[in-house]
Amino acid sequence: MMGHIHTRIKFGFMAFFAAALFVMMPQTSFAQETVGADVPPTAASEEVVAGETEAPEASGAYVPMAPTEGKGMPTATEDDMWASMTFQDQYTEDGAYALWMHDKILLPVITVISVFVLFLLLWVIVKYNRRSNPVPSKTTHNTLIEVVWTIVPVIILVVIAVPSITLLARQYETPPEDAVTIKATGYQWYWGYTYPDHGDVEIISNMLSDADAIANGEPAKLAVDNRMVVPAGVPLRIQTTAADVIHAFSVPSLWFKMDAVPGRLNEKLLTIEEPGLYYGQCSELCGARHGYMPIAVEALPMEEFEAWVLEQGGSLPGAEEVAEAAAEEETAEEPAA
Amino acid sequence: MATTAEGFDAHHDDHAHDADHKPGFFARWFMSTNHKDIGTLYLIFAIIAGVIGGAMSGVMRLELAEPGIQYLAGAVEFFGGTADENANLHMWNVFITAHGLIMVFFMVMPAMIGGFGNWFVPLMIGAPDMAFPRMNNVSFWLTVAGFVSLCFSLFVPGTGPNALGAGVGWTVYAPLSTTANSGPAVDFAIFSLHLAGAGSILGATNFITTIFNMRAPGMTLHKMPLFVWSVLVTAFLLLLALPVLAAAITMLLTDRNFGTTFFDPAGGGDPVLYQHLFWFFGHPEVYIMILPGFGMISQIVATFSRKPVFGYLGMAYAMVAIGVVGFIVWAHHMYTVGLDVNTKMYFTAATMVIAVPTGVKIFSWIATMWGGSLEFKSPMVWALGFIFLFTVGGVTGVVLANGGIDDNLHDTYYVVAHFHYVLSMGAVFSLFAGFYYWFPKMSGKMHSEFLSHVHFWLFFIGVNVIFFPQHFLGMNGMPRRIPDYPEAFAYWNSISSIGYMIVLISVAVFFINLIYAFTAGKKVGANPWGEGATTLEWTLSSPPPYHQFETLPVIEDHHDYHDHMPREDKPATA
Amino acid sequence: MAGNVNHDYHILDPDIWPLVGSLSALTFTSGLVLNMHPETFGTSGSIVMWAGLAGLIATFFMWFKNIVTEAERGDHTPVVQLHMRYGMILFIASEVMFFVGWFWSFFDFALFPDALTVTAAGTAEQATTNVTGQAGAQASLVPEGMEVLDPFSLPLLNTLILLCSGTTVTWAHHSLVHGDRDGLKQGLWATIALGVLFSAIQAYEYTVAPFVFGQNTYSSAFYMATGFHGFHVVIGTIFLAVCLYRAYLGHFTPRQHFGFEAAAWYWHFVDVVWLFLFIAIYIWGGWGAPVH
Ligand code: HEA
Ligand code: HEA
Ligand code: CUA
Ligand SMILES: [Cu+2]
Repeated sequence: MMGHIHTRIKFGFMAFFAAALFVMMPQTSFAQETVGADVPPTAASEEVVAGETEAPEASGAYVPMAPTEGKGMPTATEDDMWASMTFQDQYTEDGAYALWMHDKILLPVITVISVFVLFLLLWVIVKYNRRSNPVPSKTTHNTLIEVVWTIVPVIILVVIAVPSITLLARQYETPPEDAVTIKATGYQWYWGYTYPDHGDVEIISNMLSDADAIANGEPAKLAVDNRMVVPAGVPLRIQTTAADVIHAFSVPSLWFKMDAVPGRLNEKLLTIEEPGLYYGQCSELCGARHGYMPIAVEALPMEEFEAWVLEQGGSLPGAEEVAEAAAEEETAEEPAA
Repeated sequence: MATTAEGFDAHHDDHAHDADHKPGFFARWFMSTNHKDIGTLYLIFAIIAGVIGGAMSGVMRLELAEPGIQYLAGAVEFFGGTADENANLHMWNVFITAHGLIMVFFMVMPAMIGGFGNWFVPLMIGAPDMAFPRMNNVSFWLTVAGFVSLCFSLFVPGTGPNALGAGVGWTVYAPLSTTANSGPAVDFAIFSLHLAGAGSILGATNFITTIFNMRAPGMTLHKMPLFVWSVLVTAFLLLLALPVLAAAITMLLTDRNFGTTFFDPAGGGDPVLYQHLFWFFGHPEVYIMILPGFGMISQIVATFSRKPVFGYLGMAYAMVAIGVVGFIVWAHHMYTVGLDVNTKMYFTAATMVIAVPTGVKIFSWIATMWGGSLEFKSPMVWALGFIFLFTVGGVTGVVLANGGIDDNLHDTYYVVAHFHYVLSMGAVFSLFAGFYYWFPKMSGKMHSEFLSHVHFWLFFIGVNVIFFPQHFLGMNGMPRRIPDYPEAFAYWNSISSIGYMIVLISVAVFFINLIYAFTAGKKVGANPWGEGATTLEWTLSSPPPYHQFETLPVIEDHHDYHDHMPREDKPATA
Repeated sequence: MAGNVNHDYHILDPDIWPLVGSLSALTFTSGLVLNMHPETFGTSGSIVMWAGLAGLIATFFMWFKNIVTEAERGDHTPVVQLHMRYGMILFIASEVMFFVGWFWSFFDFALFPDALTVTAAGTAEQATTNVTGQAGAQASLVPEGMEVLDPFSLPLLNTLILLCSGTTVTWAHHSLVHGDRDGLKQGLWATIALGVLFSAIQAYEYTVAPFVFGQNTYSSAFYMATGFHGFHVVIGTIFLAVCLYRAYLGHFTPRQHFGFEAAAWYWHFVDVVWLFLFIAIYIWGGWGAPVH
């Protein structure tokens, strides 16, 4: 058995070197390949168009939205080298603010600090090597410089803290009374989404096989059979909990991550700015299939969302009230009649 | 490995004067009460653990080189299980768990504290040995026992009779580690931490006592080499943090086996409580893994700049500050568990504070070199690499410290990149720096400076190729602890795996260097590094006598050591 | 020891017990695991566990025996005694942190007793139903209707016993310092007797307590904290008993008796922990609940 493993590993590593060489070839060869042979991206973009044309017929049955390349999902290097190296585009206000803070404050600051330290190191290497400076100085103190390198970092940190605290302070905002509530429950290993305001519709969401995902024009490992469908542009009250172990509900393009802890109900406001399909993955180690419990949030215009709810056998909160009121009226009227 | 072991004791035979009377083989290596021998044992143990932990990460990088599951079935069979989809995927979790635990508890900690701490704390403070030589040995063997217990866990059921090993992550979060991994593997892993933890607590007691009470006459706390300071602070962190972990994992045990519900909401318990307890230990733990490295870097930078450390007191108290503040920032690992906003704000602010004393250290190292006369011997290049790469890892830590940013980055590869920059580069670079610095002292033989530089450059390039792209993966959304991933993450993962190949070669160079040193290395005198090396260990022969400082050295005001002082005049250290 | 040693430190000869002790510890913990998983390992676990425990006990015995021999041989110079002082203080400090773990969980359950709805803004409202629908969640630390032990009955007695034992151990110490060996023995006898009495009462209370380990978080935190405390009382009592035995052997001098002092420190530590347990868990934790 050992020998068997060893050969496998050996072959693996050889294959690996070959792969390495291949990958190191210029980016362009990759890009060409994608355009030439690949099914998913082309299929996807076609379906987007199809989806758009279909959308207006609100009366029609719900058709799962086709993904938009580069929106709500990670970007492959072949498609866009630069985008594959940074955050996904953001579709919430807080996400946009956070992204701004990262790109405009944190990233520059940490880059400058790292480069500065590197520069100083190179400087001493060049200026103070044994050949250039055979006789070392004996300086071991300089109060001014020590104060400076204590105070300046403090100032930098304060500069970081201002937007950072602001970003957190935005989380004080709680969902308004009429926010649409969706409860995401983590199970080993799938998600359940319930809609308490909508007649307790329950959606069980499992990962699609790679083949099914690709056939759908969706990214493998991210596509699910039943999505979490939500209305776009209105406040959502997202609640998370779990039935067995801790999971985490996470959608990078919405800057949203909240643990789903058994015995707890975590709650946070989420407003998705525009309709779209936003993928995420479970982000807390939860056992064997932790890598295989993706999240797909499909944000629809309110009317389409409501149509979807009805199609799932749910009810609309307004409708319920109307019905209740009507029922009450009836009971009230009857004796009189 | 055998070469190492033989090498380490081979050289002693030609020093047979009185102070050098050594016990026989078994008594010497299995019953040791000698700090240098115990240090050697720790180093050999850490190197073995490093190779095992490194090999595991090799399998991990292999698996992650491309999307899909390729090698896990082989791994399952290797440990004696039966491969099926569940067992294969579970095996991934077993690998990351074992890799994390081995690297943290059985590589970095034993090497830094057990290895270098044991060897050089007594030498640097002019002490003949540690305060509790016998307890020193039990610390080592408890570490070994812990490692063996962890190894047991790989071969027994984890989630089921088929899925072997503890697949819980090095953080062992409940209820994944209680109800969802109900097999004996997790119990073995928990006891592994108990055993190693007990060893470390005893070791911490030993170091603190030694440092407080066994400094040579004249060596005040404020004259102590910074490496000794670093071990002192580390020992306090160990002493105060580990017992809390012990309590936490004991509660895990009773939840698993005796019907309690500390972390089980079904019985009124709270899974988040475990996380608080774990991270109250876990965050100090990360400084435990880096502070001795800071200490080594200080010695090395001063030595090869031929200048005393710049801002000595600031350096020492910066470590104290890091240690103290390190106890009150733990929940930055828990920003997404459902903390309220005020708590997140507090932990954001508190965490960022640590950048200040750490910055003091970085800049003081550079200031030490400023105006110096730098010599780029192998320890120095590793130290320079350390300073830069640790800074990179540190500043990404500051990014993560922002609760609102961590809402996105938590549990992504950005975190993996962050902590490998501070560990697989910070801690490991300082280990190699320290190793090359003190190897001639420990063995009496000189390693090949050329091979050391080759080792350095390959390692430097390799780890950066492995871990830099992981920042991209993390920002782009790749969660950690997954064996398979969406196609979009394929490219940077493949690059990362290539980096591992480079590191593999560099580690091979390291071992070739060791073999070279033991077989053909030049003999060295007391001080191979020249006038910059001013601490006490360089006043002794290489290797030092079996029992050194039988007459205590006396430290005078101007770092001028001589060792003729009658016993009666010894100022009462007591 | 090697030739011309010019210092007062204690350089030891090689010793087998660290290795034996560690292997025993590993054997013991492994035996525990085997025991806890009969479904995997059958029933052989106990032998392994007991073997490990025997090894551990032997190690402790031999280890301390060696220390005592060395002390009597005069190896414990003032500086070595100082080491031991530091060692003991640090060990106690780590023990304190160990108890911090238990208190932390106790206060977590006491202050945040139920599954919570946590909104990001920090308004935590008590969930009316357990969010996952699991049964058994508690609305308060001590569930409705659960009986607790009356703190002002046996626990108060135990508090007085421990406090009293703190004074008797001081009595023994004073006697020792003033060369009154009879007083030393009497004080120790009294302390040990009080320690044993405490343990006996605690054991009795466990048998009559209206709740059991693992019943709910209160009971678990209660038994865990008081149980570990009780374990420490037993260890402390043994420690004192060894001192008493040594006192009969003629060990200890008014100037050098660190073994005794360590036992006394340990005893005071155990005492203080009890006060915290008594106030926090017995009195405050059970406040308002019906008593047994
Ligand atoms: C050696 C180990 C080590 C060290 C030293 C650090 C140092 C730091 N770490 Fe790191 N960390 C880990 C090991 C370490 N970490 C590990 C293992 C994890 C993951 C655990 C797990 O989940 O498995 C982790 C995770 C982790 C998280 C949680 C991320 C998450 O899970 O979501 C956070 C968040 O705050 C964090 C922050 C920091 C900070 C602020 C520092 C600071 O101490 C860094 C300070 C240093 C610098 C800033 C650079 C030098 C300073 C200057 C040059 C001065 C100027 C700088 C400024 C003004 C910014 N770390
Ligand atoms: C010190 C700690 C340390 C070190 C050195 C490393 C080194 C490496 N790690 Fe690891 N890693 C962790 C600590 C460490 N790691 C932790 C805590 C986790 C989290 C686990 C979890 O999620 O629970 C993790 C997780 C982790 C992951 C994420 C897994 C996942 O989330 O799914 C990956 C993936 O690439 C990875 C890869 C690697 C690689 C390729 C190396 C390579 O750099 C390895 C190369 C080999 C060496 C650097 C060893 C050389 C050292 C010696 C031979 C000893 C020398 C000794 C002396 C000189 C005395 N590690
Ligand atoms: Cu569910 Cu990870
Ligand atoms: Cu931390």
